[in-house]
Amino acid sequence: MSIEFILDGQTLTAKAGQTIMEAAQEFGIKIPGLCREARISKTTSCFVCVVRDKKSGRYLPSCATLPSPGQEIESSSPEVLDMRKTALSLLLSEHAGDCEAPCTVACPAHANVEEYVRAGRKGEFLNSLKIIKERIPLPMSIGRVCPRFCEKDCRRNVYGEAVAINDFKRLAADLYYDEYIEDLPELSGKKVAIVGAGPGGLSAAYFLRLEGIEPTIFEAQPKAGGMLRFGIPEYRLPKATLDRELAHFDKIGVKFEFNQKLGRDFTLDQLKSKFDAVIVAIGCWKASGLRCEGEELATPGIDFLYKISSNGNVAPNPGKVVVVGGGNTAMDCVRSSVRLGSADVNCFYRRTEAEMPAEKIEIAEAKEEGVNFHFLVAPLKLEKRGEKLVLICRRMKLGEPDASGRRKPIEIPNSEFETEADTVIAAIGQGTLSPVGIPTDRFGNIELIKDSSKFGERLYAAGDCVSGAATVVEAVASGRQAALEATNALLGKALIIDHAVYVSRGKWQDLTQEDLVFLRDDVSTDLREKLKFINLESRKNSFEEVCQTMSSVQITREGERCIECSCTAKNDCALREYGDAYNCDANAIKGKRLPVSYDIRHPAIIQDRGKCIKCGVCVKVCKEVVNQTLLSFKKRGFSTCVGTTFDKGLPDSCIECGECVESCPTGALAWRIKK
Amino acid sequence: MNRKYEFLKKIDPETSNLIKGLQAIQGVEGYVSDESISAVADYFSVPVVEVEGVLSFYAQFKRVKPGKHQIAICDGTACHIKGSTQVSEWLTFELGIHPGETDKSGLFSLETVACLGCCSLAPVMSVNGRVYGTLDRKSVVKILKEYENK
Amino acid sequence: MSKIAIKKIRVGVASCGVAAGADAVLELLRNRALPFTVEETGCLGHCYAEPLVEAVLDNGESVFYRNVKADDRDIDNILALGEKDRFEIPPKRKSKELIKVLALAGKIDPTNFDEYVENGGYAGLKRALSMTPAEVVNEVKLSGLRGRGGGGFPTGTKWSFLAAKDTQEKILICNADEGDPGAFMDRSLMESVPHQVLEGMLIAAYATGATKLFIYCRAEYPMAIKHLKIAIEQIYAHRLNTVGDRVLEIIIKEGAGAFVCGEETALIASLEGQRGTPRFRPPFPTDKGWQGHPSMINNVETFGNVPLILREGAEAFAAIGTEGSKGTKLFALAGDLKNPGLVEVPMGTTLREIVFDIGGADPDKVKAVQTGGPSGGCIPVELFDTPVDYDSLKKLGAIMGSGGMIVIGNDRCMVETARYFLDFTHRESCGKCTFCRVGTTRMFETLERIVAGQGEMSDLAFLEDIGPKIRAGSLCGLGQTAPNPVLATLRFFRHEYEEHVKDHRCEAMQCDAFVDMYLDRAKCIKCKLCIKNCPIGAISDDFAIDNTKCTKCNACKEICPKKTIFRVKKGELL
Repeated sequence: MSIEFILDGQTLTAKAGQTIMEAAQEFGIKIPGLCREARISKTTSCFVCVVRDKKSGRYLPSCATLPSPGQEIESSSPEVLDMRKTALSLLLSEHAGDCEAPCTVACPAHANVEEYVRAGRKGEFLNSLKIIKERIPLPMSIGRVCPRFCEKDCRRNVYGEAVAINDFKRLAADLYYDEYIEDLPELSGKKVAIVGAGPGGLSAAYFLRLEGIEPTIFEAQPKAGGMLRFGIPEYRLPKATLDRELAHFDKIGVKFEFNQKLGRDFTLDQLKSKFDAVIVAIGCWKASGLRCEGEELATPGIDFLYKISSNGNVAPNPGKVVVVGGGNTAMDCVRSSVRLGSADVNCFYRRTEAEMPAEKIEIAEAKEEGVNFHFLVAPLKLEKRGEKLVLICRRMKLGEPDASGRRKPIEIPNSEFETEADTVIAAIGQGTLSPVGIPTDRFGNIELIKDSSKFGERLYAAGDCVSGAATVVEAVASGRQAALEATNALLGKALIIDHAVYVSRGKWQDLTQEDLVFLRDDVSTDLREKLKFINLESRKNSFEEVCQTMSSVQITREGERCIECSCTAKNDCALREYGDAYNCDANAIKGKRLPVSYDIRHPAIIQDRGKCIKCGVCVKVCKEVVNQTLLSFKKRGFSTCVGTTFDKGLPDSCIECGECVESCPTGALAWRIKK
Repeated sequence: MNRKYEFLKKIDPETSNLIKGLQAIQGVEGYVSDESISAVADYFSVPVVEVEGVLSFYAQFKRVKPGKHQIAICDGTACHIKGSTQVSEWLTFELGIHPGETDKSGLFSLETVACLGCCSLAPVMSVNGRVYGTLDRKSVVKILKEYENK
Repeated sequence: MSKIAIKKIRVGVASCGVAAGADAVLELLRNRALPFTVEETGCLGHCYAEPLVEAVLDNGESVFYRNVKADDRDIDNILALGEKDRFEIPPKRKSKELIKVLALAGKIDPTNFDEYVENGGYAGLKRALSMTPAEVVNEVKLSGLRGRGGGGFPTGTKWSFLAAKDTQEKILICNADEGDPGAFMDRSLMESVPHQVLEGMLIAAYATGATKLFIYCRAEYPMAIKHLKIAIEQIYAHRLNTVGDRVLEIIIKEGAGAFVCGEETALIASLEGQRGTPRFRPPFPTDKGWQGHPSMINNVETFGNVPLILREGAEAFAAIGTEGSKGTKLFALAGDLKNPGLVEVPMGTTLREIVFDIGGADPDKVKAVQTGGPSGGCIPVELFDTPVDYDSLKKLGAIMGSGGMIVIGNDRCMVETARYFLDFTHRESCGKCTFCRVGTTRMFETLERIVAGQGEMSDLAFLEDIGPKIRAGSLCGLGQTAPNPVLATLRFFRHEYEEHVKDHRCEAMQCDAFVDMYLDRAKCIKCKLCIKNCPIGAISDDFAIDNTKCTKCNACKEICPKKTIFRVKKGELL
C-alpha cells in the first residue's frame, strides 16, 4: 500500500515501508545523510537528514521516519537547512584531521600541493603541471618568485626544513609548459573585458577561457606581465621566461589590447557597453614617498625598477645608493643597484632584521651580494648638496608591539646623523592609482561588496588593486575568484569556487614529531635539496638569473621527503561534501576536538578515531554484511569510539574486504595507500 | 572454561544476562580484567569486542583493580551544591590520588558517582558501600583514619 | 496514672538512616536485653531527623526520637521515654502533606510479608483478580494516573496498548533506574514498602496479560534490591505470582550505571545485555520491545500507586489532585532548606507550599527550585505559586521529572548550577545522536568558559541557539531535556550570566575564578592550622594568602577555629 505525502509542496508517493528519505530519493530529491547504509539496519544518529513536520513543527530524521498519509514535510525551509548546518558544524567541531595538507591551505591559490608533489616524486612532471595549472596559470613565474607560503606551513618543518615545494612547479613548468594545452570548451558567446595584464588580469583571463568565456585584456603598457615584467628584476625572473609563459595566453585565445589605459583611452562604461562584464586588475603602481622633508628628491622604488626593466636591463650606475625600506621591493632595488655597478649599496630600515617584511632568502642573497644593512634608522630629511644627496636620519629603538604585532620603532632623541648618497630610493610601500568613479577604501584600494569580488553591477576587481601590494600568487588566486564569480553570473552556473570546510590539526609549530604519522612507509630522512646558484661574480655583474631550476633527479628525491599530511579520504568524504554544500565553517563552534589517533598497525587499513562521526556504519557492515564482528562501539558520550578487540587493531581474521572502508562516510577508516 | 570462572555457571548463558555476568565477575574480583572479558565472551558466546563495548558503556565497571577501600564521592545535585567538589579536593589532598585512581599501596581508590540517593544528608560519600553523610573536612579525615587502621 | 510501657521499638534503617548512623543505633539497642522487639523499618521521609527511632507504646501510640546518637545516653533517654530529642512532624508540613503511597513507609518492617498484608497489602491484587483484565485496565484509566517517571503518559492507556497485543510472551518492566541526581523517591519506596511496588506489578501483569516481569534497578541501591529479592521470595512462597492461569517470573536486573537507561528503548537494550543506547521509535516498545516481544515499562512510583487505585477505587484516587494530574506525588526535597526529605503531596500543591511550608526553607534566602533533576529547569522564587502538575511545569520550561526537587539558595550561582547539570548530562549522553553527543559537550564547555571568566556575550547567543536544536535533534528524553537547565537559567537569571561575562563577577562567590580567599589577620590567633592544611602551600608564614596560587578549596576556611578566613569577590579586599 503506498502513501501520498507532501514534500516541499510537491506530492510524493512512498511505497509501503519506504522512509521519507527513500521516497524523496526516488522522486529525485536528495536529502543528505551520513549514517544510512542501505544494506544495514537503521542507526538514526547523525541527524543531518532532518526534515520538519509542518504541522507539529517537529524535526524528524528522514532516514527512519515513514511518512503518514497527507503529511506535509519541509526539507528545504530555512529552519531545516539551519538544523542540518548545525548538525554538520557540530560534527566538524569535533573532527580532528587535515582535510587538506597545510601547504594547500596556506597556498593563497589552494593549489593541490600534495598531489603535484606526489606526481613530481613519481617523475610524472606533465601530470604535476596539470595539477598545478588547475589553480596556478603562471607556474613559470610563480615557480621562481613565489615567497612560498606553502613551505612556511609545511609539516616537514617539524623535522627541520620544509619540502622545496615551489621548485616542483618550476621544474614541471620548465619541462612541459609549452607542450601542455588545456581542454578548452567552446566559446559560449559571453565576453569579459579585463583591465590590466598583470598576474591578476592574466589569471582571470585564463580561468574565464577555461569556462568558455572570451577574455580581452586592456593593458596600458606595450607588453603584458605587469609587475612580473616591470617590477620583478630580470635576475629573479628572466623576461625570456616570462615571454614563454605569456605566449601560452595567445595560444588559448586570450585577446590583448596594448597601450590602452583606463581613464585615458577608455572608460568603464564603454567597456560595460561592449562586454558582458568587466574585471579591473590594475595593480598598485603608486609608490609611497619617504614621508619627510625633501621626499621629492628620492626615486620611487618601482620607478627605479621600471626604468631598468623597460630598457633591457640597461641603466646608468646609480653611484652610492641608499634604499629606504625593508620589503621585497627594497631588496629588488638594492640588488639591481649592485648589478648596475654600484659599489656602495645600503639598505636603511627603521626596525630590525627580524621585523623586515622581505623574504629571508632575499635578504640573505642581498647580503651575499655585498649590500650593507642599517637597522633602526628612520629618514628625517633629504637635501641636495651640490651633486650629492644628503639623507638625515634618526636612530630608533623598539617599543611595544603595534597593531601589526611587530614592535613599534621609537625615536631616540639627539641621535641624528647624515649619510651622503648619489641615489636615494624610497621603497616603503605602494598604493593603488584608482581611476575616478571606483569605490575605494581608506587605503585607496578598490572596495568590494562584502563576500564577493564585485564593486558594481557586472563590475569585478582582482589583484593588488583590491588587496594592496601583495604577491603574484595572491593576485592569481584573486583573479580566479573574480573570473569564477563572473562565470557563475554570466553562465548561470553554481560553481563552488572553494571548499568551505578546512579541518586542520593545527600549525606545525604546535605539533611534535610524535604527532606526525607517516602513512607512507618510505618517507626520506634526507635534508632538503639545495638550489644551484650561479657564481657570485656573475650575480654582481649581470642580470643573469641567480639560481637554476632543480634537476628531475633532485625533485624526485625531494618528493620522497613529503609526509603527505592530508586526509586519506579528502576526495571521498561525505562530511566535507555536505559541509561545503551547507557552507559550514569547521571552526564555527568552539570546543575540544577528538584526539587524533591514526592506527596504522594494519598493513592496508588505517583507523583514525579523530575522524569518526559515530554513525556506526562500519560496525554494522562488518557484522551484518560481512558476518564478522571485528568492530564495536566503546565508551559513551563524547568519548564514544569504534574499537577493536582489546584495541589491538584489526586482527588477522580481517579479510580486508574493505566494506568498512568503502562505507565509512569520512576518513575514520581508510585505505592506507592514497589513490 | 577456567575453573576460576565456575561461578558464572549459576547464570543462564543467554546474551541478555551478559551484564549480569560482568557484574558477577566484578563482584568476585573487584574489577573486570582482560582475561575475565574473554571468559565472559566465551561463556555467553558474544565476541570479545562486543563485551568490551557493553562493559565500557556502563559507569559501574572497573577495568583496573580497585583499592581495598573504595571511596565513592557523591556528586548528586544536593551534594554538589553542598560542596562535593571540596570533599573531592580534600580526599585528593589526603590520599594523593584523583577520582578514578587507586593509591600506590592499594589501600584506597577514589571515584565520583552520580547520586547515592542520600541527598538530605549532603554532602555524602561512601566507603565500601557504607554511606557517610553531612561531611566536613574533619569528618572526612576521621573516616579515612578509621579505614586506614582496618 | 499507670505507667505506659514500650511495646516495641522501630529504627529507620533505610539508606538515609544508615548514612546518618542508624545501624549503630540499632546494634546498640539490640545489645541491650530488652523485654520487647527492636524492629527495622523503612523511611518516614524526615531525613533531616535521621537516625529516627520510634517507640511504639502499649496504648498504640508512638513516641519518636530524632537525631539519635549511638551512645548510651541517647538510648537510655529513649528507653525511659525521656523528653529529650522527641520528634514531632512539623505541623505546617503535616497540614500540607497527604500520605497515600508512602502510608506504610517507616511504619512496617519492609521484609515482613505479614505486616504488609495486615495493613491492607495485596487487597488491591485480590480485588483486581476478581475483575476481568479489561475492567482493571479501565479502572486505572478512570483513575487518571499518569506515569510518575517523568513523561506523564496516561498509565491506563499504556496498559491498554500491551493488553491489546495477542502474543505468547508479553513483558512488563519496572523502571527502577532512578538516575536523576537528587531524586530518591523510588529508592525509599522500594526499601520501605517493596511489596507495594510488586503488588502494582502483579496487578498490571494480570491486566495486560504480561508473562515476564522485570525490575531494572540501579546497582547503587543495594538495600532496595535486597528488600525486593526477599519480597519476591515471599510472593513465590505465597503463590501470589499466579495470576489467572499464568505463573509469572519476576526477575531483578541490576543496572550498571547509565542515566540514559531511564529511557525506555535504552533500558530495553540494557536488559538485553547490550549497550544502553536508545533507538528510533516507532516501533514502540509495546509493539516491539524486549527481544522483540511487546513490552511495557512503568516506573516504580507508578506501580506504587496501582494497589491504592484497586484497593480504594478509581474514584477515590481521582478525587485527589488537579484536572489533568491525579493523585499524590512524591518529591525528594533537598538543597538549601531546613527539613530535607521525602514528601508526598496532592498534585497541584504549589511550589511555595512544598518549599517553604513543608521544607521549612527561609523565604528570604531562596531564589529558585530545580525540578526534574538535570533534565528539568530552575524555577525562580517569583513563580513559586505555580501548582506542581505535569502541565504547569512544562509551561515554565521545567518538567515534573521523577520528582527530585532541589532548593537553591541566594548564595548559589545559577551559572555554576547550570554548568553542573550539563556536566552530568553530557557525560551521561550515550553518544549516539550528534546534537546530544557533541551539542551537550559544547554547551558544557561554553559554561566552563563562562564560570572560568573566559566567557563572551556570543557564548550566551550560542547557548540560546544550540539548546533548542539539541532538544529537537535528539532521539531520546536525555537529549530532548538536557538543555533545559541552561535555557531556564538563561531565561530567568540572564543577569547572572551577564555578570560573569561582562563584569567578571560571581555575586554568589561560587565560581572560583572570581573569588579571592581573605584572611582577617586582626582576628587570627596564629594557630597555623590553615598553613598546615593548605594542600598547595599558598599561605605564607605571616598568614598572607597567595591568591594566584590558591585553588579556593576552602580547606583553610573549614579548618580555621576562629573563622577568620572568607571567600570574597576577586580584588575586593586586597
